[in-house]
Amino acid sequence: MTKYIIRRFLGLIPTLFIIMTLSFFIIRVAPGGPFSREKSIPKLVLQNILKKYHMDEPMWKQYGRYMLDVLRGDLGPSYRYHDRDVNYLVFGSLPDSMVLGLMALLLALVLGIGTGIVSATRQNTWVDYTTMGFAVIGISIPLFVIGPILMFVFALKLKWFPTSGWFMADASWKTAVMPVVTLTFPYFAYIARLSRASILEVLRSDYVRTAQAKGLRPSVIMFKHILKGAMLPVVSFLGPAFANIVTGSIVVETIFRVPGLGNVFIQSAQNRDYTMIMGTVIVYSVILLLMNFIVDIVYGFMDPRISYR
Amino acid sequence: MAASAVEPRANGAIDQFGVPIRGVSLWLDAWRRLKRNRMALVGLGVVIAYSILALLAPVLPIYSYKHQVLDHQYMPPSLTKTAGQILYERRQNELLEAAKASGRVELTDQERQELADYRTKLANETTVLDGKTIKVNERRYILGTDSLGRDVLARIIYGSRVSISIGLVGTLTAVLLGVIVGSLAGYIGGTFDYLAMRFVDVLYGLPYMLLVIIFMAIFGRNIINLFVSLAIVSWLTEARVVRGQIISLKNSEFVQAARVVGASTGRIIFRHLIPSTLGVIVVFATLQVPSFILLESFLSFLGLGVQAPMSSWGSLVRDGVDGMDNYPWMLFFPALTMTIFLFSMNFLGDGLRDALDPQSKNKL
Repeated sequence: MTKYIIRRFLGLIPTLFIIMTLSFFIIRVAPGGPFSREKSIPKLVLQNILKKYHMDEPMWKQYGRYMLDVLRGDLGPSYRYHDRDVNYLVFGSLPDSMVLGLMALLLALVLGIGTGIVSATRQNTWVDYTTMGFAVIGISIPLFVIGPILMFVFALKLKWFPTSGWFMADASWKTAVMPVVTLTFPYFAYIARLSRASILEVLRSDYVRTAQAKGLRPSVIMFKHILKGAMLPVVSFLGPAFANIVTGSIVVETIFRVPGLGNVFIQSAQNRDYTMIMGTVIVYSVILLLMNFIVDIVYGFMDPRISYR
Repeated sequence: MAASAVEPRANGAIDQFGVPIRGVSLWLDAWRRLKRNRMALVGLGVVIAYSILALLAPVLPIYSYKHQVLDHQYMPPSLTKTAGQILYERRQNELLEAAKASGRVELTDQERQELADYRTKLANETTVLDGKTIKVNERRYILGTDSLGRDVLARIIYGSRVSISIGLVGTLTAVLLGVIVGSLAGYIGGTFDYLAMRFVDVLYGLPYMLLVIIFMAIFGRNIINLFVSLAIVSWLTEARVVRGQIISLKNSEFVQAARVVGASTGRIIFRHLIPSTLGVIVVFATLQVPSFILLESFLSFLGLGVQAPMSSWGSLVRDGVDGMDNYPWMLFFPALTMTIFLFSMNFLGDGLRDALDPQSKNKL
């Protein structure tokens, strides 16, 4: 097992290396470089700028420098905001995104599995039909439609929650409700459907029948026997879920004006601030790779049928 | 296609009631089962209707999607009233409000005269569009207009063109590239398989939305770049799915038989293996169409997709969000259009998956 974890961890390195290399070349080769503006810059000034950013050196030297910098955790200067570097902008906004994403994922897991249990044990009743109908809505309507509609109903018409202002001064937790609920919705729906389906499958398996024949209490069977096996698909969904939460949170952050990494990313994409774009992407990919890694390991612990050499 | 429509019964095959099973082709069998799934059929119908509307957009009796009538900003949707009538009523209400504010119940003669003049002015106002002079205030906006006085209905229909074609193009490239790479990697195996799959892994490490955003940010936002960037990222999952299928099939008896009689690698892949995986690919592709549509709308919503005056569902929703407090129809109709389509695609995809599931073959 330890061996597998180490090998799996080492496997992350080439992927990261390729992403970094790609990122370097995208930054350097992309047209419309950092200093091309409507106003042309005097030659001498341009030379000095290039020198400041070491862009007058040969390519291989720049590449080496960039890789070393990134490894040391320095993502370089922002091409647009001259007094700030990428680290400042990325890590300044990352916590907000993490809070948003993790809250949404946690909520989705709790609500989703709960709903899954309820509708699987009451299969083909109105409870089942209502919750699953709800889940279909959550899966097929995109976030950027759900978000504005929730905002329209609960913020503009009912005025229960503010439309924006993530944890700002007076409004406290109320500001977080709308973004978190919006981001939760699709994952909740997916997890509910997933856990319902897999619980139903496990319900029919032989070992559950044995447990029932032994006369165990239904709650014990559900939590000790069924859930353990039925949660496997949910766990393996968590890997892609993280990736989707990243993109989902970009939308939610835009709609509800959360000052998170997603907002930074979109702004830098619109500004063509390449170092910012790639810095954000590197941070995103590190997070995703680590999350996938963790999910893989957890999965291995949970499924007794998998053995690692 | 897969099993060609063999009419005679499969040798001695009987079902659980002892009735001989008649061999049918995969597709006929699937269609028979799909027909029983009402939701899937409704989905199919809606998708076809949308496609026809989108295809026929230029010949439909709708207004131009980019022509701006600046006097007609934010016209509310109305089935019966012309723009002129709405403007007239708006002015009338304004005057009545003003009258009420100053304590009068009725309008003065002067105000009445003003209203009458306004009506004549509205009735005679013309504009030149496509070389034709039209009475601009006789236009009817069934779904209202947007901030620049453009017809929302036309923008939604033309937006559907963009959105649906992105979905189709994305899926087609995904299937084409994915099947080629996946089947080669799966069948040949070895170093090629390893390299191809590592490449897929790396691209997979990034959410593909990010890749597309990077691409659009670097090469500029236009529809061709959108297509190209979609094509680059689209085929990854397909390649994996196909590869898995091929690997599980390549040692089966019918492939061995083909190899024994001396079929070439290409023939085995294209004549034997790929047809057997078609069911999976079709289901997967159907489920992928909405995901490409979502991707495009997502980009357009963030302002990185299609550029004005062109519209897509995403950009329309974006426009709607900005003014939704006062002009909810700008958000409501595009969102509804999109939701209906995505729902239908989902039902159709689920139905197809059930219909093409080999385990339920010959069962209804």
